[in-house]
Amino acid sequence: MNSLDPRVNRLPQLKEVVLPKAPLDQFGTYEVFVQPKEGKPFQHEGIVHAPNLELAWVLAKEAFTRRFTCTSLYVVDTRDVYVSPLTEGDKNAYDLIPEITEQAGNKKNFEIYHLVKRGKQHVHVGTVQAVLPQEAMQLAGKQFNNGKIVYNVWAIATDTIRFTTDEEKELWLTLPKKKFRDASDYKGGDKLKAFLEKR
Amino acid sequence: MYGGGNTFEGIKTDSLAQEDPGMLAAFEARIERGEKIEPSDWMPQLYRKQLIRMIEQHAHSEIIGALPEGTWITRAPGFKRKMALMAKVQDEVGHAQLLYSAAETLGKSREQMIDDLINGKSKYSNIFNYPTFTWADCCFISWLVDAGAIVNQLANAKGSYGPYCRALDRICAEESFHLKYGHHCVIYLASGTAKQRQMFQEALNRWWPPMMHFFGPSDKISAHTEVLMRWKVKMGTNDEMRNQFLDMYVPKIWELGFTIPDPNLKKNESGKWEYTEPDWEEFKRVINGDGPCNKERLEVRRVAEARGQWVREALKTPKTSYVTPLA
Ligand SMILES: [Fe+2]
Ligand SMILES: [Fe+2]
Ligand SMILES: [Fe+2]
Repeated sequence: MNSLDPRVNRLPQLKEVVLPKAPLDQFGTYEVFVQPKEGKPFQHEGIVHAPNLELAWVLAKEAFTRRFTCTSLYVVDTRDVYVSPLTEGDKNAYDLIPEITEQAGNKKNFEIYHLVKRGKQHVHVGTVQAVLPQEAMQLAGKQFNNGKIVYNVWAIATDTIRFTTDEEKELWLTLPKKKFRDASDYKGGDKLKAFLEKR
Repeated sequence: MYGGGNTFEGIKTDSLAQEDPGMLAAFEARIERGEKIEPSDWMPQLYRKQLIRMIEQHAHSEIIGALPEGTWITRAPGFKRKMALMAKVQDEVGHAQLLYSAAETLGKSREQMIDDLINGKSKYSNIFNYPTFTWADCCFISWLVDAGAIVNQLANAKGSYGPYCRALDRICAEESFHLKYGHHCVIYLASGTAKQRQMFQEALNRWWPPMMHFFGPSDKISAHTEVLMRWKVKMGTNDEMRNQFLDMYVPKIWELGFTIPDPNLKKNESGKWEYTEPDWEEFKRVINGDGPCNKERLEVRRVAEARGQWVREALKTPKTSYVTPLA
């Protein structure tokens, strides 16, 4: 290599052709939810790829809470998210969830998320207790369906989520100290004005 | 960071003939109403294909764009500039991650995209095939290349594909720091010593031609993209975006007392900018691999990929497997 950067010049020589990676030599997919402020609901922010839930949490912290105010985040394996059909216009997603009779067995908690405007993010609305995810959505339809149209419903069993512990929340206390990552830390106005007056 | 002037494939007029006319009409009506398309919605093959191509190119531009600036982190003047540049470069790589995820919702895995990048199959913004000789080149990128990127990104954030728009909303919010930081750096050079002013002027002279290329070939010679405009994949023509950039930033460059190396650059009575036609032959030559840094940029990515392989292998577990992101 003949680079201006000495570190690039020190890189090892590779064979001309790098073999393509084995198909889908890729980590799992995890959905990321962030709470922007204390008291606000968690909302879906995006995904990370990671080898496990624990590392997904670490990567999510880096990717989604590095810059914006944040009080908490959690992650869940995409395969653990149950999804209703996506509707449009005046069709409510809850109307498309097939009826199911109350199931026998151990109930567990499910977190419920609504998409109330197409193009926006899914937002947490509450928790229900059910045996099956479909049953959880049906229950949610009665509890959280306040007449507003819901275009998409997600249900996630609470015990599959990797939450943030209270101790870990201290991570975000340093955000105000990292002002150099804010536009507001770069006020060049005075210097510019002085420069223009001198010219 | 983001290069406009995405390369779109030439569109055959019959490529919509196989689509279900009813579904196509409903799809177009939804876009016309200003609603977003979501991954589970029906969409024409052409829409999917061109969006993957565009978002993927955008993502590659972010990680490749981190290289010419990243190289200056260790040599940035002073602790504060080092911290800021490091944070900015980290943001750019984060942008790539957000964009790869958005493209993934359309059915192409991140692995495949990275393979296509390092094997030279996918494009990225042409401007990053040029070298950053001095700190002033790095400042040019932080301020003006990012400014160009923001013009594109703000327009694309009003596009029709939900996951791409959401990624862009996050990205644009982060870009405001890049722009202010970059302007701050250039103000300091402009109001500094004669040597500092000269450094920036020289960087400006070097970067102006690739900056004019940044928004892609002129409308007179670029591929027809009416259907992509109608579907809100492409939000403005290359010349419209270029004009918007010139309108916002030429006065700011002039204000600092620098000269732009184009004697024909001026705003005409109708408010449009006139300029010497950029050298589109050079643009084509560089985008097809023959620029000053094309080889180096891909080589750095390939080495990173090869060096990280053992880590990825060590971390892989059969308990988890790749699935397409939800939204
Ligand atoms: Fe960026
Ligand atoms: Fe940027
Ligand atoms: Fe950038």
